Amino acid sequence: MIHVRPLHPLFVGEVSGVDTTRDLSVADIAEIGAAIAQYAVLVFRDQRIDDEQQLAFSRCFGELEYTGGTGISKPGEQRLHPAFADVSNLDVGGNLLARDNRRRLYSLGNMLWHSDSSFKAVPANYSILSGRVVVDKGGETEFADMRAAYDSFEADTKAEIENLVCEHSLIYSRETLGFGDLTEAEKATMRPVRQALVRTHPVSGRKSVYLASHIGRIEGWPVPEARAFVRDLTEIATQPEFVYRHVWQPFDLVMWDNRCTMHRARRYDSGTIRDMRRTTVAGDAPTAMA
Amino acid sequence: MLIQPIQPGFVGLVTDVDICQPLTARQVAQIEGGMDSFAVLAFPNQPVTDEQQVAFSANFGELEIPLAAQMMAPEKRRFQKLELGDISNFDGKNTDKLRDRDDSRRMYALANRLWHSDASFRAVGAGYTLLHSRVNPTKGGNTEFADMRAAYDALDSKTKALVDDMIVGHSIVYSREQIGFEVKGDGNPDNLKPVKHRLVVTHPVTGRKSLYLSSHIGEIEGWLIPEARAFLRDLTEHATQPQFVYSHKWEVNDMVMWDNRTVMHRATRFDDLNERRDLRRTSLKGVGLGIDSVPVRQAAE
Repeated sequence: MIHVRPLHPLFVGEVSGVDTTRDLSVADIAEIGAAIAQYAVLVFRDQRIDDEQQLAFSRCFGELEYTGGTGISKPGEQRLHPAFADVSNLDVGGNLLARDNRRRLYSLGNMLWHSDSSFKAVPANYSILSGRVVVDKGGETEFADMRAAYDSFEADTKAEIENLVCEHSLIYSRETLGFGDLTEAEKATMRPVRQALVRTHPVSGRKSVYLASHIGRIEGWPVPEARAFVRDLTEIATQPEFVYRHVWQPFDLVMWDNRCTMHRARRYDSGTIRDMRRTTVAGDAPTAMA
Repeated sequence: MLIQPIQPGFVGLVTDVDICQPLTARQVAQIEGGMDSFAVLAFPNQPVTDEQQVAFSANFGELEIPLAAQMMAPEKRRFQKLELGDISNFDGKNTDKLRDRDDSRRMYALANRLWHSDASFRAVGAGYTLLHSRVNPTKGGNTEFADMRAAYDALDSKTKALVDDMIVGHSIVYSREQIGFEVKGDGNPDNLKPVKHRLVVTHPVTGRKSLYLSSHIGEIEGWLIPEARAFLRDLTEHATQPQFVYSHKWEVNDMVMWDNRTVMHRATRFDDLNERRDLRRTSLKGVGLGIDSVPVRQAAE
């Protein structure tokens, strides 16, 4: 039997009574599934998990995404199994990335509010992030509840956004920070995809606003008008009352539902090692009608 | 003349004065004093004409010509008086017609919804800006102001040390880029070239430090661009928290005046394809800004 302690008035639960390094029972999986449908973000403390165990835990919740083909790392440069997103500041040899390293500059885009894999035609359900080496100062991960954000919108805003479709691409989020150092081949893998701006969660039935810094356009809108509007919505959706800040302790395992949350990394000293490893559970279907 | 706080230490309400009439030296000094202690002053019920707005503004310094007016073809301009900024959604002189959804003047103006300081993309940015309201939409179209002195004061000492000597590059291109609008300019590349300013400026009268932030900033000297942009976003987020912000809901004939050296502002959304909004802007060249304000020690390097 798992136990969940709320960490925030709106969402986020700390889970105890489960060891994620071991095989989960069917009952454990069902309880975690029900908890994440309610809390959207779950924190498991002191989980000394290895890569194999993290893969096994993650697969309990669905098929995994393979990160290859969406980022900018080439096969030989990858430090981890291809089902991992390497959210560290380390190279393949375990050395700190230089300040001007291309992968590092690219990864600064994680400091913008986003939802993982919203730039994929079928976006992710869950992300599972394990803090193997965490930093003492900064480097927090902030989460924002997009259900509560949606609920807070005025009726006319809800009506306005109900059927909007946005175009998401990694190119847009990187452009926002002035990172345009992408090859034609990379850009070809980052072609914009369509996503509904309002989603309904299949388990909780709650509506949420599906925002991300990957959004660059709203279908049928002039680009500047779309960008200004998305900025306004994002500002409302990421107000302090909708945000939980996770201060990492070593071996925290945090699992979140990308369908109804956004998250971002906070700044930290690039001269200290931060080794975080993410697995991602794939989604089921496109969000926008053809 | 009476100046009462609307938001203590930041926004003052000025009554018992008629700014349609020429001011006495004492009144000018009183308003300047109010600007120094508050940074934003609101004058309700002032039915000034364009000429009266220009005359009132000229009490406080040298008027500047807005870049938008300067870059616009004369036949596209609503006002021939270049000092008068057209902050409306009208199709130029045809005030019965609203700008089309994809009108390039509309696209350019949408960036006013980003926090900025007027003319910070110029070697000498604006000092005071004065905005006079003629027509307002039924909903939205507020102007929000953020106090950059309070925002600076609230930084932790480590961040203060980091930003105190920082030099940043401002350009109109950067703010428009952020909403995906490419500024073509008028063929004069000087208008678009980034200019350098200190990120922390000291007010020439009050001596208070403030963050000279603006969405026109796109680079920090000595920093890699993505790092600079991420940092500037964080700093802007800090500086525009609700406790530093005042939102002005316009009434017809409000005149609001603010100091761009210590205040950022932005417009909020309204239904500009269906509703009319008309404000007239004048602004003054800023004293104590620009590369002149870089201490000699740094300018010599």
